Amino acid sequence: MRLNRSIRNRGRRNKKEPIDLDITSLLDILVIMLVFLLKSYNSTGIIMNIPEGITIPTSKSEDLSTSGVVVQVSKDTIWVDDQVILEKDNPRGKTYDYGGRRIIPLFNELVSKKNTIKQVEKTTPNATKFSGIVNLIVDKEIKYSEIKKILFTAAEAGYRSYKFVVLGENQ
Amino acid sequence: MLRAPSRRKRKEPVKRLNLIPILDAVFIFIFFLLMSANFIKIYEVQSDVPIVSTTPPKSKKKPLALTLKVTGSGLNLYTGVPSRMVKKIRKTQEGEYNLEALHDFMVNIKKANAKERSLILEPIVDVDYEALVKIMDTIRMYRNTDDKVWYKDKAGVDIQAKHLFDQIVFGNIRS
Repeated sequence: MRLNRSIRNRGRRNKKEPIDLDITSLLDILVIMLVFLLKSYNSTGIIMNIPEGITIPTSKSEDLSTSGVVVQVSKDTIWVDDQVILEKDNPRGKTYDYGGRRIIPLFNELVSKKNTIKQVEKTTPNATKFSGIVNLIVDKEIKYSEIKKILFTAAEAGYRSYKFVVLGENQ
Repeated sequence: MLRAPSRRKRKEPVKRLNLIPILDAVFIFIFFLLMSANFIKIYEVQSDVPIVSTTPPKSKKKPLALTLKVTGSGLNLYTGVPSRMVKKIRKTQEGEYNLEALHDFMVNIKKANAKERSLILEPIVDVDYEALVKIMDTIRMYRNTDDKVWYKDKAGVDIQAKHLFDQIVFGNIRS
């Protein structure tokens, strides 16, 4: 009795047991979240930006995207890797050659990108090699006559493979 | 009278599992997965640049040279060199391309040419990109209801064709 009342044991006497929080339900929620996120996990590691003004079409395709130079095409603008190359309302200099089939600013930018990749390829031993792939993010209302010019320009610039970027149908 | 000691007194408290390390790991997983989550499913449709070759083909077998021309009135299919029209599919009454008929015809061609994967696509009319992707889907992919097509590889093993004509080449980009 005397021991309990002593000043030395005052703190110990009033100390309560730590509250034992039940975290089982929290763990349940987290595991469900984990499964959901694992389902939407993207293993390709490729990030593609779809600029405003572009609505890509839906497709039944299930082929995952591959890395390459990204060309984005809306009704009035063309981008290469998110950089504006051509604004149709405000063109700078001559826009087309080869009888209107080749888009000059796009051609120049694609050749520049190709040369940069090849330069890096030569100087860095483990660098990614030039794949010749061009990823096309095209608005669904663009006409084939316009797409044809882009395909022709990319082919002239030395790109061998086109990848039309589409939205999965079950979205 | 002596009684046996109560069992209640001897009962040990239920040991609870320490879930905190698991919780920590799950939290780290969630952050990692949230960073790399892909909520919009983006896929691709592949096409190659047409290349004109001057060298003669290695095999003596006549090429199929399957060509699909998209015209204002419908879809025209050609085969062989020089090309010969084998099928004309008119638009539906609603004014849309009859993709069902096209798909059925493609499956039939595939049955006769199981190893063939190439198709030359030539839109003559100024069709929009969305319609073009739908046409490409129709000629590229099998449906679950389609008859399965098998062919033998070099070792004589039966292989099921996974795609119809998935190697699409735009034949008229230079014109």
